[in-house]
Parts: sequence; structure tokens; C-alpha cells
Amino acid sequence: MNQILFRQVRYLDPVNGIDRVTDALVTNGILTKLQDDLQDCPVEATEQDGHGKILAPGLVDLYSHSGEPGREAEETMLSLLSAAAAGGFVRLNILPNTLPVIDNSAVVAKIQSLYQAAKTQLAYAPALAVWGALTHGVEGESMSDLQDLAGSGIVGFADGRPIDNLQLVQRLLEYLQPSQKPVMLWPLDRKLASGGVARMGSAALRLGLVGNPVCSETAALSPILEIVAELMVPVHIMRLSTARGVELVAAAQQRGLPVTASVTWLHLLGSTAILDSYDTSWRLDPPLGNEVDRLALVAGVKAGVIGAIAVDHSAHSYEDKKVGFGEAPAGAIGLELALPVLWEKLVVPGHLTALELWRGLNCGPAICCRSEVPQELVLFDPMVKWVANSQNLRSKSANTPWFDKIILGKVEILAVN
Amino acid sequence: MTWTRRHILGLADFTTAEYDIVLQTAASFSDVLLRPMKKVPALQGRVVTNLFFESSTRTRSSFELAAKRLSADVMNFAAATSSITKGETILDTAKTYLAMDTDLMVVRHQHSGVPQAIADEMDRLGVQVGVLNAGDGQHEHPSQGLLDLFTICEVLDASKPRSELLAGKKIAIVGDILHSRVARSNIWSLTACGAEVHLAAPPTLLPKEFADFCEADPNRKLFIHWQLAPAIADADFVMTLRLQKERMSQHLLPSLREYYQAFGINRDRLQLCKPDVKVMHPGPTNRGVEITSDVMDDPIMSLVSKQVHNGIAIRMALLYLMGNLKS
Repeated sequence: MNQILFRQVRYLDPVNGIDRVTDALVTNGILTKLQDDLQDCPVEATEQDGHGKILAPGLVDLYSHSGEPGREAEETMLSLLSAAAAGGFVRLNILPNTLPVIDNSAVVAKIQSLYQAAKTQLAYAPALAVWGALTHGVEGESMSDLQDLAGSGIVGFADGRPIDNLQLVQRLLEYLQPSQKPVMLWPLDRKLASGGVARMGSAALRLGLVGNPVCSETAALSPILEIVAELMVPVHIMRLSTARGVELVAAAQQRGLPVTASVTWLHLLGSTAILDSYDTSWRLDPPLGNEVDRLALVAGVKAGVIGAIAVDHSAHSYEDKKVGFGEAPAGAIGLELALPVLWEKLVVPGHLTALELWRGLNCGPAICCRSEVPQELVLFDPMVKWVANSQNLRSKSANTPWFDKIILGKVEILAVN
Repeated sequence: MTWTRRHILGLADFTTAEYDIVLQTAASFSDVLLRPMKKVPALQGRVVTNLFFESSTRTRSSFELAAKRLSADVMNFAAATSSITKGETILDTAKTYLAMDTDLMVVRHQHSGVPQAIADEMDRLGVQVGVLNAGDGQHEHPSQGLLDLFTICEVLDASKPRSELLAGKKIAIVGDILHSRVARSNIWSLTACGAEVHLAAPPTLLPKEFADFCEADPNRKLFIHWQLAPAIADADFVMTLRLQKERMSQHLLPSLREYYQAFGINRDRLQLCKPDVKVMHPGPTNRGVEITSDVMDDPIMSLVSKQVHNGIAIRMALLYLMGNLKS
């Protein structure tokens, strides 16, 4: 049994709304006692000074991409799990766009065997679940083997790509009602997006980046919400990225529609103005919003309209990303960086409270994918400095705007497998 | 003032002092180009590499001749015939030419930001190589913007081209603004020198957000028009832009004919401008679409050939200034 007594640590519990400095006894990574001045400490417990550190439940990533199977040069199961663990994530949910696509139970079993093999090589491995594809090959054309998938232990259904055919969306939501699994959709009208790589606005025009209008998100979101209103089946909206999108989701929630939403961590941190650098690590899909969008997304997290902050970790090789901004594949890595950077940029200046951030990274995503809120604790020291370089990062890829930069804050998972 | 800019990636942050240095330097090279012996030894022993990831004949020829007139050794890289299709990154290509002791890189790419990425890499490597943007995506084409500025200044005072000549002048830019890097560079240079710039195109080629293009500097005078007449009324200069035929398949325009009827520049329409109006075009032109042959070939009104000619002097000036930067 491994027992640690943290003296005067800042303990966060977003489910019960606790944020206070206290003594905490942690046994095998789980909280066993919380008391302001704990006297009857077990003799076998080691004491640690908790001043300035945060003790809180581990993080849940609602969606990220796995390189394995299919793109092992960019990320393997082992490197993905190591990166997640290094970033304080105790649950990881991966999107189905692996090669082959997770659109049948055989691929789910294959992923689970890869996971089990990687797990044996790690001191701690986060729990891993997969989103099963809604459509064959995530091509948005025809239903995948949904019942087969539903029985294979997937967390829920998602393509991680837009489905253009609204009739198919409607039939999927109808058909999946008995499965009781969450369904996650990405609202994007690809015709309206017309290949745009930056959110339309004066900054995109100045930088000469092809603009992607706000309506490419909202014109796809509105009909999804109408289908939900008719069927009253729960839907999760992923990658919300515009101020108008936040308004539409908030209005739907106020009408009583069973809709939850998530934003990616990078959309809370950057806006079009940052693209001056043409750093392809900021090439995201949907693209970064304008500042008005970013502020609305932060406010959406604060108000609870947006329940989860997803990492959407996406590894790409050096050679794939060292191209023109407009031709670079979308996505950035982030599992090891999300918590410290969000803490420094949003919590320290007061844009979000510590509990609001933790809600977005812990119980929020757990609720969105209808899984249990993890109890495994992490210890976060927001003052530790480290450099996000290839020696320190566990991910096999380096496509992040913070590569080679100093990161403030390091997290450690206290649980043991 | 002395020249301090190692890379020329765009005109967005150019100062009037910098415009004046470029104009003065170009004027002196323009004189050189009138001599029987049109070559000077300013960059003798230096290597200029044209890295043209996007195909171009006119701009590349202009840069090549400018470098040769300065006595530089010139290398040309063209993506179509190179290993860029075999998995080499843009930075690998740049580093290959760096290893051949390139002093100046002239970069053209179909995507915005590539010259900046190469310049950033050169700075990161700590090498004294200057990068000159020869057109990147829809972003900027600074040498075209500067040669247009030089051409306008020459019309206003051939003896001493300088930025202050543009104060209060009305200049219309007509055509596919949305997709034009030339228009963007011209907006920066002309507004910085005090001209009133009026953009004109149908809304699909001139989104309303262009009104905020210069929002960081309220002194710049930029106006947008979705009709031609108010844009060119009393204009001193009218610049037209090439219209790509693919804009029809992108649902941006109904037809070239309709575009010509609303925005084509012909002699009748130019009656709205100042009597001594000059017409410019960065080339290549679609005769009968954005401009009539009649106007294009008018030796008094059209500055098109002058623009091409001045391109050499401007590019000589830029290469000279970048190549003689004190490290």
C-alpha cells in the first residue's frame, strides 16, 4: 500500500465544488482522508509538503487521434499513452480514424490488444476507450455495423468528421436510441468552408489565408439541433469554434434539448491574430476563431454551456507539417501541454477559475461520454519549468506551437496500475 | 537613414523612410539601365537563388535579369522539375541552396507564409541570408507593389521619385481583390504614402471585411466599392487585376461577360477619371475582360510596359539593399 500525506495542498474537486488548502491523505492514488489539520496520520504514510501544489482528480480527454494502427511513424499506442500519462490524463478516448477505421468490432479488439501490449511497458497507463465510427470508413456515406460496434465495448459513436447527409444523421440518431451510447457530431458544412484554412475576417484577408466563414459551422449546427429537437435524443457537439455556435448551443440547452458541447484546448488559447507566424502547428480544423469567437468559447466553458475541453491530440510528422500553411494537415499534439498551458493562460490571469478548468478536463468530458468521473488523483505543480523539446515530450511528433518553448507547470499521476 | 531589413516578406510594416530609400535606389539603377553598358558590379561574387515553388516566367525573368545586372551569380530552382515532389520539404530545398553559399533567396510559393517560414529558418540557423518574397499565395507580392509605386512616382515627378508625391492622389484598384497578393501589397504601400485607395469589385471578390484591412492605422485611407463608378470617379490612377477563369466554377461570378459589363476598364468608363488618368496592370492581362486592348495599348494612358521595365530597377534596388546589409 502506498500512502502519502500531503500537507497544505490545494485540493480541487469539481464534482462537489471544493477548492481549498488542506491536508490530504492519498492511498494508492485515491483520496482517503481530507482534513484541514490531519493529526492521526498512519505511520506508513510519507509526508509531502503540498504548498503551492494542486491535488485533484485526473483528467479525461474526450477525443484525440491515435497514430496506431496505421500511422505509427507519427504516434504509437505506447507514445500516445505515455504522453497522456505525462499530461495528467487518466482516461483517453480515441477517434475512429485509424487505419483501418474503427467501424467494426474486429478493429476495436485490435485496438484493445495494442493497448494491452503497450500497457505492460508503462508504470502507469491511462484507461483507453474508442469512439466507434458512425459510418463505414468514416466517409459519411452509409451506416457502419452499429450493433456490432455497440456490443464491443466502445465509449460511443462518432466519425470525428462531418456527415454531410442530414437524412443519414437523422437515421443514425434514430437507430442508435436503444444503444444508450453517446453520439458525437462535428457540425461543418464543407461546401461553405470551401477549403478555408483561417476563420474569415480582416486578419485572414491580411494574411492572404483562404477564409472559412462562421456559417460553415453554424449552418451545419442548426439542422442537427432541429433533428435533436424532433427526436429528443442526446447529442454531443464536438469542436465548437465560433461565438455564434456557442449561442446556438446555449439556446438549445435553454429549450431543454439534450445537447452537450466541447471545444478544443487550442481554440481557447489562440485566435486568427496569432497566425501572423504562419506556424503550421496552428493549422487546425475547424480553424482558430477570431478573438470574439475565442472569448465566447472561454465564456461558454465558464457558463457550462461547453461541458468539456478536448485535446484533439493529432500527431503529424515534421515533413508533413513543413509545408505552406494552407497545405499542412490540420491538428496539433497537446496531451502533455494542455493542462499547464491552460492553467497559465486562463486560470492564472483569472479568465477561468481552477474549478471551471478542472470541470472542463475531468467531470465535464466524463459526463459528455457518460462514463464515471475518475477518482485517481494527480499532483500538479504550476511553478515547475520545463522545455517542451524532443527529450522531454513523450509524443513521437513535435507539431505544437510550444515546441522548444518553456512550459510552466508539470503534472504527475499518483495512481498506480 | 540606412537600410536595416534583412528580409523583405511584405509591405505591411514598411515605413515611408524605407519606401524612399527603395525609390531613390531604384531611380539610380533606372539611370544605369539607360546606359549602353547596363551592368554594375554591386553584387559581384554573390549568389542569388530564385526559389520558385510556383511556376512563373515573367517575375522570375525579371529577378534573374536584375541579379545579372548587379553581376551576381544566379541559380534558378523550379518546383515542377525538382525533387520537391519526392518528399523534400521547403526547408530542405532552401537548405540545399544555402549549402551552395546562397546570399539571397528570392522565394515564390502558391501558399501564403512560405517565404516567412524560410526566413525564420535562416534566422534560426544564424546565417546571414536575406529572403525576398516574390509572391506567396494570396498574401503579398512586395516587389510588384514597389514597382507599381515607383511607376506612379515617376509619372508624378520623373526627376525625383519619392513617397510624398502620392499625398492626396486617388488610386482605384479594380478586380479580383480577394485572391490578389498584388492588391494587398499595393494597399499597404499606397496608403502608407498618403494616397486614397479605392477598391472596386463585386462583393464575392471584395468581402466587406476588407474595410478593416488597415484598422491598426486610422491614418490610412482605404475605401471599398461594389460598383465601379464611385471608385474611379476623379481617379488619378486605375489599377486593374487579372481575373482567373476558375472564379466562375467557384460560383464567385456568373460570367466573364457580366464581369466586363460591370467592371471592365474601357475608354468610355475612364471618362469618369481625371483627364490625365493612367492605367496599370500587373499582367498577364485578359484583354477584353478586365481591360480593353484599346486602353491597354494606348501609349499615353497605359503604364503596363513601364511597369515591366521598372520591375528590373526595383528588383535591382531590393537585391542591392539586402545584399549590402551590414551584418
